[in-house]
Amino acid sequence: MTTRLQHIRDHILAENKCMDMTSPLPSPLTTHVLNTGMGVPGAGMALSLHRLDPVTSAWSLITAGTTNDDGRCPGLITRECFTPGVYKIRFESGQYWEGLGETCFYPYIEIVFNITDAAQKFHVPLLLSRFSYSTYRGS
Amino acid sequence: MDMTSPLPSPLTTHVLNTGMGVPGAGMALSLHRLDPVTSAWSLITAGTTNDDGRCPGLITRECFTPGVYKIRFESGQYWEGLGETCFYPYIEIVFNITDAAQKFHVPLLLSRFSYSTYRGS
Repeated sequence: MTTRLQHIRDHILAENKCMDMTSPLPSPLTTHVLNTGMGVPGAGMALSLHRLDPVTSAWSLITAGTTNDDGRCPGLITRECFTPGVYKIRFESGQYWEGLGETCFYPYIEIVFNITDAAQKFHVPLLLSRFSYSTYRGS
Repeated sequence: MDMTSPLPSPLTTHVLNTGMGVPGAGMALSLHRLDPVTSAWSLITAGTTNDDGRCPGLITRECFTPGVYKIRFESGQYWEGLGETCFYPYIEIVFNITDAAQKFHVPLLLSRFSYSTYRGS
């Protein structure tokens, strides 16, 4: 199978399995985008969650979504799929600011983090302006 | 990477270890430029921060053309050297340079569980 078909297949399988919008159980991994430049939630920002394959060192897409009006993106991953490993969340910061009619120093932002104990809850927020950003490990 | 030119690099960085209140000394980092045609990253400079958390000579004025760059900081290795774990195995800050005549400062303020950056001068 070509890599392009593999990518599409993985995307479909990922969305069906790992992104659960119907389960009453919240995702063990959450994010929250705050637009600190304007003092508002970062609503309507495209983002995606990926996991690093430790054998191939390739990233595979788990979930793609867009933040809601509160800057959040529920249902990033199910508890079953959330295994220890290296993950990244990619935030489309350039597109986001372009939609507001502004430029941004950061065309996109990828936060790469290591999950050793997948039984915990992890909150990976992004506080973003046009010329700065920060993140921290929350709960 | 020019360590002999009297002209300072138009792009600088500074690593601060905010968890311990010290400069982020001895951190490996690398500067890369994105090829707009192939979308591949090419390494420009690799280095290690000095005792003040800085890495002079990242790029020469001549090489600093408009484009998308990234600085990759080996945060996991850094904290491992201090006997600690870090939530972030590495940190890549990707930024867009439209006016290469300016000076750009891309610092990293880092603890084991958080980091921030901003566009300085």
